[in-house]
Amino acid sequence: MDATTAMYVGQIMHGLAYGMLLFLVASGLTLIFGMMGILNLAHASFFMLSAYFCVSVIHMGGNFWLALLAAPIITAAIGVMVERFLLRGIHASGHIGELILTVGVMMVIMEAVQVFWGTDSHMISVPPALAGMVNIFGLQYPLYRLFVIFLALAILGLLVLFLFKTKMGMIIRAGVSDAEMVEALGINMPLVFMMVFAAGTWLAGVAGVAISPLLSVFPGMADQMGMDAFVVVVVGGFGSLLGAFVSALFFGLLNSFGIQFLPRIAPVLMFVFMVLVLSFKPKGLFGERE
Amino acid sequence: MKRCFFLLRGVLTLLVLGMLVSGAWASDALMDRMADFDPSNPVIPEGDTIKIGHLNPFSGPAAMNGELYHIALHWVAHDLNKQGGVMVDGKLKKIEIIKGDTMSKPINAKKAAERLILGDKVDLLWGSTGSHISLVCQQTAAKYKKIYVSALSISDSLMDAENFNRYTFHTPWTTSQAAKSLAYFYAKRPEKKFYILCQDYSFGHDLAEKFKGYLKEFRPDAEIVGEDYHPLFTKDFAPYLEKVKASGAEVIFSGDWMPDSVNLLKQSRDSGLNLPFANMYMDDPITLGVVGVEGSAGLVNANQYMINDMDSRTRELNKVWHELHETKWEEPYNSSLYVWPLGVVASAINTTYWMMDVVERAGTTDPEKIIETWEGDKYDSFAGVLEMRACDHVTVRDTYVSEFSSPTKWFDNFSYIDKIVIVPSYVVEPPVPEGLDRCKK
Repeated sequence: MDATTAMYVGQIMHGLAYGMLLFLVASGLTLIFGMMGILNLAHASFFMLSAYFCVSVIHMGGNFWLALLAAPIITAAIGVMVERFLLRGIHASGHIGELILTVGVMMVIMEAVQVFWGTDSHMISVPPALAGMVNIFGLQYPLYRLFVIFLALAILGLLVLFLFKTKMGMIIRAGVSDAEMVEALGINMPLVFMMVFAAGTWLAGVAGVAISPLLSVFPGMADQMGMDAFVVVVVGGFGSLLGAFVSALFFGLLNSFGIQFLPRIAPVLMFVFMVLVLSFKPKGLFGERE
Repeated sequence: MKRCFFLLRGVLTLLVLGMLVSGAWASDALMDRMADFDPSNPVIPEGDTIKIGHLNPFSGPAAMNGELYHIALHWVAHDLNKQGGVMVDGKLKKIEIIKGDTMSKPINAKKAAERLILGDKVDLLWGSTGSHISLVCQQTAAKYKKIYVSALSISDSLMDAENFNRYTFHTPWTTSQAAKSLAYFYAKRPEKKFYILCQDYSFGHDLAEKFKGYLKEFRPDAEIVGEDYHPLFTKDFAPYLEKVKASGAEVIFSGDWMPDSVNLLKQSRDSGLNLPFANMYMDDPITLGVVGVEGSAGLVNANQYMINDMDSRTRELNKVWHELHETKWEEPYNSSLYVWPLGVVASAINTTYWMMDVVERAGTTDPEKIIETWEGDKYDSFAGVLEMRACDHVTVRDTYVSEFSSPTKWFDNFSYIDKIVIVPSYVVEPPVPEGLDRCKK
């Protein structure tokens, strides 16, 4: 592979890897919105929290794999508590209250990480099994980034199987369409809501661990990822998992090739695209809700 | 003849012994004063004190900066307070440090500065990271006729004809000095293909422009093979690094600071790109610890201060600081970031001693007297001679460049400062601001 081709193939791979990371964060956000109608502004904070848990697990003698297992579960457990003891209580007062509450949760998490982990940046290394490069048709590509791509694909596969092949998945899909009707059929919707919120925060947690070997863990990392995930969900369509996937991949590639060809305006390209999509399709590319 | 020889030998022996004893005494003296220094719980003096308002972010994502420099200020305050304080208005007064949280926002910086001036009635203001924040601080200080020591932000524009005010004194190096130091270093190096990768805001662009200009001056055959400016807090540097790989660059020039600096360095090493970075902020133990000995070898760092053991004062500071870190300090100051008094922190300590020395020589905290004393002042600091240029209040100083290697005496888990190239102050003297009438005289 000549140098120019290698560069373009490299950019495609980087775009895919970043897109998959975006998908991991955005999928939880869109799942929670689709099911509960809540725009969870604390979602990226859960992502950050999980990254901090990952750092702690490793500092306490664990390894990356244990962190990948434990940190998202702990994050999801906190998500469950937030849903059960905070969100559920104000559900009746409407979405504005829920929105404000999630902003409050976001601020609490932001301050909490500074109290418990300090203000320093933390970094963890790529796990030894995933360190180094892999040869893809002559292109030397970091193995860890390839792992991120396959991890996100595996999670997407599991989500699809869960949503389309299980009874609970059917209930959730029905709930996305009409939660009140599903509740009228005798389904315990508060419990379903709680499970969906847990699943959403778990997904954010997986993304938080996956990104930790690439990005320093510091109190501002939620801001870094939150806005991008939000744009992915808006463009893909609120509540649409397929939309989040397509949109995340598109923005990953847009980021890579934007930097390649239009570096000065690359950071704003995704926002320009969001404005265009919203102008012509206010529900997003695959969304059913405005 | 023989008698003369013995006499000379005796005198020399006494001299050496004297130096050793005084060195040991000095070290003990500093340790005696600092032994109970706890940066997490500093002693706050009461009564009639000299109040210094410390403007920096103490909350939000950049709160680390506040902590970083708070230890520097408290170090100096503790040391001088242990010596009885600073003689002003005919009596010894202790130094009190009061925080002003800028939250990294100009509006908050203005409020914090006003609260310190009007509420806490501070005598001097000291800060702040972020040139746009520091500018607000110096404007607010000038409005209330208070001395502001611009100790951290390095943009040349802070003291240009448009922004200069006589109440502000700029004690760190400047963007010009940083860029020129690195260009000077590469004048005698084999590398000549540079890729510029800086943060996309005024500082990044300004630094890159200056580096390109000075490179032309010192190394006319050098080539800029690529140039990119990434957003602050970039998550994924891989697309930029892919371009660097394809460009044939031999050096990446970057002015990135944390967290971009650490992410850029780490992601480059993880993607197999082991080019040296010519940098200013890739010198902290957190960043370097992540990439280890091999990943940090060959980095070229320019700084306004570099840890060394070349004279008794720096040896003393290093020894006492390190011993306290290893034995006494608690969170967050027991982390690897504070193992030694490094770069920006040591520089902040250095210039704060200068500031207090000026106050003592002025004999008062009256701004007009301080201005009179500080303008044109020369101070023999532990980081070389510092001179406050009278016309624009910018500090003229030597700067330092080093190529990291291993092993060093400072750290064993990454490469670090080895031989230090001193760039003399006459080479890196900051340009005199155009259009500033005071400098035309």
